[in-house]
Amino acid sequence: MSDFSEELKGPVTDDEVETSVLTGAGMHFPWLQTYVETVAIGGKRKKDFAQTTSACLSFIQEALLKHQWQQAAEYMYSYFQTLEDSDSYKRQAAPEIIWKLGSEILFYHPKSNMETFNTFADRMKNIGVMNYLKISLQHALYLLHHGMLKDAKRNLSEAETWRHGENTSSRGILINLIQAYKGLLQYYTWSKKKMELSKLDKDDYAYNAVAQDVFNHSWKTSANISALIKIPGVWDPFVKSYVEMLEFYGDRDGAQEVLTNYAYDEKFPSNPNAHIYLYNFLKRQKAPRSKMISVLKILYQIVPSHKLMLEFHTLLRKSEKEEHRKLGLEVLFGVLDFAGCTKNITAWKYLAKYLKKTLMGNHLAWVQDEWNSRKNWWPNFHFSYFWAKSDWKEDTALACEKAFVAGLLLGKGCRYFRYILKQDHQILGKKIKRMKRSVKKYSIVNPRLSY
Amino acid sequence: MMKFRAEPWRPLPASSFSRWPVWCLVLISGMDFPRSLRPALFMTGPLGLSDIPDLSFMCSWQHALTVPETQPQNSENGALHVTKDLLWEPATPGPLPMLPSLIGEGLIPPGSFHTAPPILPAAPTPDTFLSLLSLCSLRALGCLQLPRASGCTPVPSPALSITTSSDPWDPGLTARDLLFRGGYRYRRRPRIVLDVTEQISRFLWDHGDVAFAPLGKLMLENFKLEGAGSRTKKTTVVSVKKLLQDLGGHQPWGCPWAYLSNRQRRFSILGGPILGTSVASHLAELLHEELVLRWEQLLLDEACTGGALAWVPGRTPQFGQLVYPAGGALDRLHFQEVVLSPGDSPQFLGNPGRIQLQGPVRQVVTCTVQGETLLAVRSDYHCAVWKFGKQWQPTLLQAMQVEKGATGISLSPHLPGELAICSRSGAVCLWSPEDGLQQVYKDPETLVFRDSSSWRWADFTAHPRVLTVGDRTGVKMVDTQGPPGCGLLLFRVGAEASCQKGERVLLTQYLGHSSSECLPPTLHLVCTQFSLYLVDERLPLVPMLKWNHGLPSPLLLARLLPPPRPSCVQPLLLGGQGGQLQLLHLAGEGASVPRLAGPPQSLPSRTDSLPAFPLLEPKIQWRLQERLKAPTIGLAAVVPPLLSAPTRGLVLFQLSAAGDVFYQQLRPQTDSDHHRDSGPRSDTESDCRAPTASWTSQDTAGCSQWLKALLKVPLAPPVWTAPTFTHRQLLGSVELRREEEEGQRSDVLRKAMAQGRLLLQRDLGSLPAAEPPPAPESGPEDKLSERLGEAWAGRGAAWWERQQGRTSGPGRQPRRPKRRTQLSSSFSLSGHVDPSEDTSPPHSPEWPPADALPQPPVTPPSQELTPDACAQGVPAERQQMLRDYMAKLPPQRGTPGCAATPPSSQASSVWTTRSQQHTPVLSGSQRPRKKPRMGF
Repeated sequence: MSDFSEELKGPVTDDEVETSVLTGAGMHFPWLQTYVETVAIGGKRKKDFAQTTSACLSFIQEALLKHQWQQAAEYMYSYFQTLEDSDSYKRQAAPEIIWKLGSEILFYHPKSNMETFNTFADRMKNIGVMNYLKISLQHALYLLHHGMLKDAKRNLSEAETWRHGENTSSRGILINLIQAYKGLLQYYTWSKKKMELSKLDKDDYAYNAVAQDVFNHSWKTSANISALIKIPGVWDPFVKSYVEMLEFYGDRDGAQEVLTNYAYDEKFPSNPNAHIYLYNFLKRQKAPRSKMISVLKILYQIVPSHKLMLEFHTLLRKSEKEEHRKLGLEVLFGVLDFAGCTKNITAWKYLAKYLKKTLMGNHLAWVQDEWNSRKNWWPNFHFSYFWAKSDWKEDTALACEKAFVAGLLLGKGCRYFRYILKQDHQILGKKIKRMKRSVKKYSIVNPRLSY
Repeated sequence: MMKFRAEPWRPLPASSFSRWPVWCLVLISGMDFPRSLRPALFMTGPLGLSDIPDLSFMCSWQHALTVPETQPQNSENGALHVTKDLLWEPATPGPLPMLPSLIGEGLIPPGSFHTAPPILPAAPTPDTFLSLLSLCSLRALGCLQLPRASGCTPVPSPALSITTSSDPWDPGLTARDLLFRGGYRYRRRPRIVLDVTEQISRFLWDHGDVAFAPLGKLMLENFKLEGAGSRTKKTTVVSVKKLLQDLGGHQPWGCPWAYLSNRQRRFSILGGPILGTSVASHLAELLHEELVLRWEQLLLDEACTGGALAWVPGRTPQFGQLVYPAGGALDRLHFQEVVLSPGDSPQFLGNPGRIQLQGPVRQVVTCTVQGETLLAVRSDYHCAVWKFGKQWQPTLLQAMQVEKGATGISLSPHLPGELAICSRSGAVCLWSPEDGLQQVYKDPETLVFRDSSSWRWADFTAHPRVLTVGDRTGVKMVDTQGPPGCGLLLFRVGAEASCQKGERVLLTQYLGHSSSECLPPTLHLVCTQFSLYLVDERLPLVPMLKWNHGLPSPLLLARLLPPPRPSCVQPLLLGGQGGQLQLLHLAGEGASVPRLAGPPQSLPSRTDSLPAFPLLEPKIQWRLQERLKAPTIGLAAVVPPLLSAPTRGLVLFQLSAAGDVFYQQLRPQTDSDHHRDSGPRSDTESDCRAPTASWTSQDTAGCSQWLKALLKVPLAPPVWTAPTFTHRQLLGSVELRREEEEGQRSDVLRKAMAQGRLLLQRDLGSLPAAEPPPAPESGPEDKLSERLGEAWAGRGAAWWERQQGRTSGPGRQPRRPKRRTQLSSSFSLSGHVDPSEDTSPPHSPEWPPADALPQPPVTPPSQELTPDACAQGVPAERQQMLRDYMAKLPPQRGTPGCAATPPSSQASSVWTTRSQQHTPVLSGSQRPRKKPRMGF
């Protein structure tokens, strides 16, 4: 939309310097236009044509927001006049706006069907050729979600070979994306065939034919996807399927290279999934523990609350290195720092066990290192009287684990611990007694007892 | 040729699950990271790079679709969660004003507040910018008063309580007041120019006393003016001292009032060049500064970011309190109990508890953590936190002064009593009443690139020790325990989020407050003028969702609402400052990417409820309209208790800058509704989602009741006063007598104007029979045919002579001045209405500011002193006073003008109508404007 205010902020000539100052140093105000329109401050008046088109646009948007699809569709008929705007900027922007609004109307309109949508998309692709690739991609996505795999694939193939005007970098990326989506579609058929293959007996007469089919698919797909995933971005579905295919054909090094690149390339955003995929791959390959630990260490830096952290902890716990065992404690504390993990009973169980183990193993300093930065807020965050009551009510097992940790960290005088201790529970009675003994012995509040 | 792995291939999700230890499945799914993210290009760089293909397609339907992980065949029933009919139906076509409950008055005694116990001032850390004040010292400052000391019972009258909602309100300056309306007609690009010239000339004219008197005083103090003055006693010599003393009456060149006394006039001529430039240049500088400030405020008023309305849940789900500022200056904090009876509209219960504060309340936040409900309030330079006790009465915990001005306050959703505040100095502090302040971050510069705005924002994250720090250019996560100054950018206004040119952050909000399972507790909302972004703190810089909201006003309010049913679609309510409301449906349960679950929806704004009000007089209608158009400064949503219904409704409260609280009831359109008629549906059924809701008589009655209370409050009196120069000596006894008579009448008129009611005949006293409108004269065509006829007969010259004799003859002459007199002293709009606007009816809603200032201020000095001439360029509301004033002045020689008018005809002319203007004899151009007078 060529805003009035956009015009205001266009090429700044001498006498328009003041304007940009007044509109607030660089910030753009979409509502400036309405303010300005209330005051006739000279300048060219909007022509009737422009007025009706912009009014029509706002009617369509309003109808869409009220879910009045039929009304929006009726306004859309009139809006097509914007394609004949004498303002070349507006004329160029029009197809995209029409596509956005029109596709939305057709997507939600109760009487619209796939044919209507397809016709509309095909028409829009060719009006204002600038949007051919974008619309093709979105159209393919639409078809894909309606289960029309073949049509989607045909659409993408057409788009892939489309040439018009000069090649720009942005178009290059779009074509890469289209190819990658095509690759993804090929992956779908491939995995379907593979599924059939796995069901078939090796001696089956059809086996060879299907297997042949599966293998023929592979090279096309890999070529399609590999170009895109070199460009910085988030390409989870592509990487995942690509790696799966590489793995299937035994190209482990290739798969690992793709995953390593996806996880560690600095130009890429720090995507936790990249590390998770790499870790899962290594796990499947039965990689050495140290390698897996180093991958998870980075994931720990990015997402200390991830559920893989508990797996990380078990890895670290089993490690011989003292440094790793210390990190194991740190990881558990780190998980429980997060608001979404406070009721994670596994984490509490691990922490209770590991705390006791660490304290028994004469590593009071490790615990104190972790506890020092948390002692001013964990008591309120985890071990308040409120939580003691509600935890006991909701999940007694969780309450017991937490009480044990609270006792170890805060001593037997802590509210949480005392509250759980006071509760009379028949089954847990023994456990609570044992807990009391351990707390007396190992609590860090009284270091005399634990050396 | 084929090497086959022993392990048969299985679909990935199942296989990946099966490999995890069993306990992994027990984990709370809330913190799951999405297994597969939406493909997105990642570009670093500044914003507005057009080269990047916009991969975040702006159609809502594409957000609803996610790339299927495996076979899309399953997606038709599994992954494709597009709910096409996700719609909330408003119960009424528009929001309704909140009313006090009349029956429920005795039901529950409104809680009375106890005075807060004095709190020991916490020791402030030495290097902080904030100083903590104890309650005692606050009291001493007069900043905080608790008028309702222990056990004070509220005023029982319900009529009184209703007026609390309607304080006088001034819409403030508009673009029309600030911008230069003239300019080059045919310039291709219009330009925005602040109208400093207009404003300053108006100021000098209207408030010459303020502008010039101090100068005179200064000069008197610093100049020795006493000479041997007694020698020359000629009348032509005037004492400078006297003049300087009287400089308050000085009016600049061009001002019609500058000529009212000889002395003033001469002095104006003499001192004009000096006085004019020195005063005007100083004033203009200050004024320009002020106007720029006002214009910036008009473009973006960030003060109320976050919203100043909060809902505090009560003992039972049926009761609760709304906390919001009231009063003209929004400096009175109201704690209003509200009853939400099932099947009925929410009502105010009793009188609100009030706390008077020194500054306007900008933000009210509430949060319940571990069963403890806290309330944080931000004013411009103060922040305070209250705690709700067992009886749901607020107790002040601590108040604090922020020297540079506070811009944001938020309550921790994790730890009770912990807050984050940020100030214009760029500092962000963690504040808890027990431990005092801890400065977490300080940077006077903006995060990503340089931006002039000093707006800062702070909120919490999923980690209780990590805060987000935001400004116009980005959002950063800062560890409060880490080394100062470091952190990780969560959101960057730049190519990463494919931001547009000129895009800036308006609001950021942590969405983890509601502990529902629908969305992970790691999501943050970032709103700009164009779009909203959902960012996960585990994947910084790459938005999980981007949606172009297209709101026509700054998006400063957002609320994540509880899901209407356990379907895991959570509504997100967005509020623009202009009153627009939008509802988005967010889904993202478990390990899926957050997405829009359906098309967004707009909700009715306050202006939509105008039809519910009774038909009104134009002026009141306009006032009501302005009031309904007041900016929205607070939003709150409550799920009312409806035990039987499977789907939960919603009550939406909104607070306007005028201090009005409106509510809107919404109910989700259930799927069963949809399925019932999902067969062959007719057009009307499927498409006409046009609001089925309509106003009930109860609604309209409520609206009229509210309106009545609103109209009881008189408008603020005009601040303008007449110039202070003396003129008494010039008034003769005759005029004085007449003045008294007229004074009475004009008093009545003025009163009528102030009250905004129509003029009635009784206001004008005994009205003599109005002069009948002049009979239409023979039109020009008659004359023409007559002349042609005569000419045809050869008597053309004779006819011409006869005609000339008639027009210059005595027949017409006396009528002219008389009629002009009537016009000039009338109260009709004829004097200043632009003829082009004649077509608009007189009740056009834009009466005062709209056409009041259309004329350029440059009035030629020779212009006549008819009231109408003076009235030009004076705001409409002042014109009446000006006319009154001018009527008191001595009659001018050469103008048989206003003063000479006999009172009777003047009174009659009040009813001068537009029809009279069309009579050919009368028109403004006939005024003898150019006649010289008084020696000029």
